[in-house]
Amino acid sequence: MAQIVSAMAMTHSPGLTGWFDRAPMQQQLLAKKALDEMRWRLEAAKPDVILGFSNDHLLNWPINNVPEFTVGIGDEHVGPADWYDEWLAMATKYRIPGDSRLARYIVNEGARRRIAFAYLRQMQFDDGFSVPMHYLNPYNAIPLVPISMNCTVPPIPLPTRSYEVGVTLREMIKAYPENTRVAVLATGGLSHEPGGPRYFWVDEEFDLWFLELLKRGDHQALLRECTLEKMEAAGSGGTAELLAWIMALAFTSGPAEVLAYMPAIAWRSGTGMVVWSEMA
Amino acid sequence: MASVDKCDATLALNEMMFYVRKSKELRERWNTDLFGLCRDFGVTAAEYEALRDKDVRKLHDLGVHQYYVPQMLRLFYGAAMNSNAHAALEAYKRAYPEESARALALAEKMEREGR
Repeated sequence: MAQIVSAMAMTHSPGLTGWFDRAPMQQQLLAKKALDEMRWRLEAAKPDVILGFSNDHLLNWPINNVPEFTVGIGDEHVGPADWYDEWLAMATKYRIPGDSRLARYIVNEGARRRIAFAYLRQMQFDDGFSVPMHYLNPYNAIPLVPISMNCTVPPIPLPTRSYEVGVTLREMIKAYPENTRVAVLATGGLSHEPGGPRYFWVDEEFDLWFLELLKRGDHQALLRECTLEKMEAAGSGGTAELLAWIMALAFTSGPAEVLAYMPAIAWRSGTGMVVWSEMA
Repeated sequence: MASVDKCDATLALNEMMFYVRKSKELRERWNTDLFGLCRDFGVTAAEYEALRDKDVRKLHDLGVHQYYVPQMLRLFYGAAMNSNAHAALEAYKRAYPEESARALALAEKMEREGR
């Protein structure tokens, strides 16, 4: 049976690769140190595959047909998409192995458990996976199964729904009949409002409050207190990327360790890196 | 209402952006024949004029998905080093001067405080 060997979450803002050096030096140093720490911990867990949760930025699906969740089932993932290479300062494409067998299992077993996972044999990649892979999987050595969610075109899934899907995914992974070591990685957030009236704003107060909830490790309290409305108030159409973190939360128990937090207006996103040491 | 809830998912301009981002040919046409491109996708005159004028607030008010608005500006101005000082983002500072000034003043304050 498969085993969950690590769980982490990080911001994926394009500024982390595209205009990293425009942030204050202290923020650059904090981010770099935390990302190095995440990579070391990920490598130490010796995963066979990264199960990644992020969100699609209207790249893979047109606005007239946006699935709630989508799994990339290809044998290989190539990115970033052409539209994003200049934006992310990634002139060269990366090629990361997929785990088609696990990905297709998630789609089919999900359907049996009443979750509709759309799938793509050739998923396109924006900052959601490209930025975290750049820092955490720089040699493209660890295969990736990407699951993207919709958190920007209404209706956006509620935190309770995201957690429920996370729990089901956890049960599915544990029932997967292979001796696979799975690392869970959530990407997105923290507060930001991409393209909205508060495009340059970061809600430090919300971010610190949310991270404090993660540090408490009480999942039910977090789900009670951190509503979609609160996320939207802290930055509409972007802060809800934290729903990916809530999916990852379902794979953990106990408190999260916050490696770093920066209210990085230069990167146009509250920027944080978190790891959990206890798996559910 | 959160700003993302103002999105009109049925707006032709929202549909058009999905395809423009994926096609080199359409991206080139953006800069040579924006009017014809919009016409072919059924974009209304009001949508076209807001786009031509890079009027961020009007684009929002018409129901363009807010994520697409900076992407539109990138098509006009380019995408490299898209920091807050980028020319593409001047349109935001014009459309939302108070919100932008407040955020950028906070950024300067934090930098002075060394964080």
